[in-house]
Amino acid sequence: MEALDFQTSLIKGFTAFETMLNGQKVPPIHDIRRQAMTRFAELGFPTVRHEEWKYTSLVAAIKHDYKLPSQAASTLTAAEIAPFLIPELDAQTLVFVNGVFAPELSMIHIQKGVTVRSLAEAFHDKHPLVEKHFAKVASFEKDALVALNTAYALNGVFIELERGVVAERPFHLVFVNDTRMSSVFTPVRNLFVLGENAEATVLDNSHTLTASKNDQPHYGFTSSVTEIVLGENAHLHHYKLQNDVEASYYVGATSVHQESTSVYNSVVITLSGGIVRNNLSSVLAGKAADAHYYGLYCVNGKTLVDNHTLVDHAVAHCTSNELYKGIMDDRSTGVFNGKIMVREDAQKTLAYQSNRNILLSNNATINTKPQLEIFADDVKCSHGCTTGQLDEESLFYLRARGLDKEQARALLLTAFAGEILEKISLEPLRDRLEAIIAERLHQELA
Amino acid sequence: MLTITNLQASVEGKEILKGINLTVNKGEIHAIMGPNGSGKSTLASILAGREDYEITGGEVSFNGGDLLEMAPEERAREGVFLAFQYPVEIPGVSNTNFLKAAVNETRKHRGLEPMEPKAFLKMMREKMALVEMEQAMVSRSVNEGFSGGEKKRNEIFQMAMLEPSLAILDETDSGLDIDALKIVANGVNKLRSKDNAVVLITHYQRLLDYIVPDYVHVLYKGRIVKSGGKELALELEAKGYDWIKEGAAEEVAA
Ligand SMILES: Nc1ncnc2c1ncn2[C@@H]1O[C@H](COP(=O)(O)OP(=O)(O)O)[C@@H](O)[C@H]1O
Ligand SMILES: [Mg+2]
Repeated sequence: MEALDFQTSLIKGFTAFETMLNGQKVPPIHDIRRQAMTRFAELGFPTVRHEEWKYTSLVAAIKHDYKLPSQAASTLTAAEIAPFLIPELDAQTLVFVNGVFAPELSMIHIQKGVTVRSLAEAFHDKHPLVEKHFAKVASFEKDALVALNTAYALNGVFIELERGVVAERPFHLVFVNDTRMSSVFTPVRNLFVLGENAEATVLDNSHTLTASKNDQPHYGFTSSVTEIVLGENAHLHHYKLQNDVEASYYVGATSVHQESTSVYNSVVITLSGGIVRNNLSSVLAGKAADAHYYGLYCVNGKTLVDNHTLVDHAVAHCTSNELYKGIMDDRSTGVFNGKIMVREDAQKTLAYQSNRNILLSNNATINTKPQLEIFADDVKCSHGCTTGQLDEESLFYLRARGLDKEQARALLLTAFAGEILEKISLEPLRDRLEAIIAERLHQELA
Repeated sequence: MLTITNLQASVEGKEILKGINLTVNKGEIHAIMGPNGSGKSTLASILAGREDYEITGGEVSFNGGDLLEMAPEERAREGVFLAFQYPVEIPGVSNTNFLKAAVNETRKHRGLEPMEPKAFLKMMREKMALVEMEQAMVSRSVNEGFSGGEKKRNEIFQMAMLEPSLAILDETDSGLDIDALKIVANGVNKLRSKDNAVVLITHYQRLLDYIVPDYVHVLYKGRIVKSGGKELALELEAKGYDWIKEGAAEEVAA
């Protein structure tokens, strides 16, 4: 199928989607879906001529014959999803298969002041917070993928924490694409609303189940949009683990609205996948709000990982701190585009950004671009990027103490990655990541 | 133990070592002195296996083996230790993990089992006491944020942990105040034995008040131009290097 065909089938398929929605086609949500569909039809999938997509071509991703959400029902067993869970993590676990909530695979604990449920149900119940915030935090006006996602918005997770509530358990959101029967396109839509002084931890990951090697290859395409509203002094720790198969494409946008003294901590770890695009943005709308963005991409093969971040300092005294690190091997490609916007009123802003890369292969590439737009005068902003090989002096030092070359390299790379992993406060997650990365480095350096 | 014969080395086509001859036997302490830029660190680095240099001639035998043929890690496991003039900071690599790996690699090389964690910690504590290192320093990343003196002390601590048979100390005394110098010297003296040898590269006689060398050599422009007993160091201290320089010039002219 041609690129245009997938686009056309998404536009045409919208009618079938509406039919499936049946009684749920009600305003205001459905009006927004329709507007979004119109916008997607106008914008179309971005090409590399689009400034924001210069290094990330979706041509390979959109050439497949995907089944749309309403056409690809699947049920999985607990054993089939077990590899995607972290047994040591005592979590509120929500599992979605081809976009549809799978309660039998999920584990929801009741906690007073905490609402956690599928977004489809919240739509159905016309939840006031959903109607208030849906499509308000992540604008689809200029972003075709957000428009597409908004048009098809139905499934995903809605989390609400009432004021002062600290979630007792982390939320673990697992989105599985089952591509064993066909290629699957899955839109995922989440909304998290944390009231004043509330605090939560969310881990989300997407996985693709593939058929055995002998069968015709299928692909999974996930479009994910997460809208987050943080009330005054609310804290959210948001971890994303991306360790998917080569035959997977992931385009995600996380948009955060932050009230005063709220803190948003994001750690995005990308270990594999076909194309992984993460858009992450915060509007620091209340005084002294903090956004911390950390990212680690440790990729090989032909993986393309593209992190686009945007921190919008709208008011004074906010802090943003960004550190993205990459270890790239084989023919992998990395993109880091970090934009910091400091508006006129945002005096006393502190904004730091850094992107550091280690290339393990001559065929790996990294494109990094900081963009600072500063309209206030009393601010402290810095950005920096480095790309290189492992430090020869350090390697020699370690070898001069008896470590062989591979051990020395592994130790240095582990340390390099460790600076990001240590930002993860969920110990079982960190342990798992350390193990995966150690294993990976061991293979890579062998 | 160590026999250096007519060692010549260059970097980027520039000749730095122009035929070094030196024999170090078990139990001996040799001091190598000489003005800046003479090639002292180059010699030390080549012995430790740094690959930036081209060996253009000569041989180095260590306990009967060809040292120059060995990878840096092999040399370390065989008992060669270089205390770096400028120890590098390695953020994110904990001193403890690094040392554990280093100690266990050396043990493996000698056919020994890895150390039990408890025994390792005990050994750490003993050696820390020897060089008056604090736990806080050992728990940190390798040399990260250490002062110059702390870095030097960490080198001696590592030496104490690894128990090398040949320790080469490259200006370990530079930048140390007198108290730190005494600590370092004390550490080296405690580790001395009839089976070990030490090569002290230094600028100043001061260190030699605390670690008494058996031999003193003067390295100048890539050659050992003078060798003698410990009194040579005192002579250098009193007269400076100029008379050596003049002497060397005469020799070349002759
Ligand atoms: N890696 C290198 N690249 C270029 N020149 C070097 C390098 N290492 C040493 N040299 C040069 O070799 C000479 C000897 O240096 P060095 O061995 O550090 O002397 P010393 O330790 O006696 O002060 C100096 O002229 C120095 O600039
Ligand atoms: Mg030197």
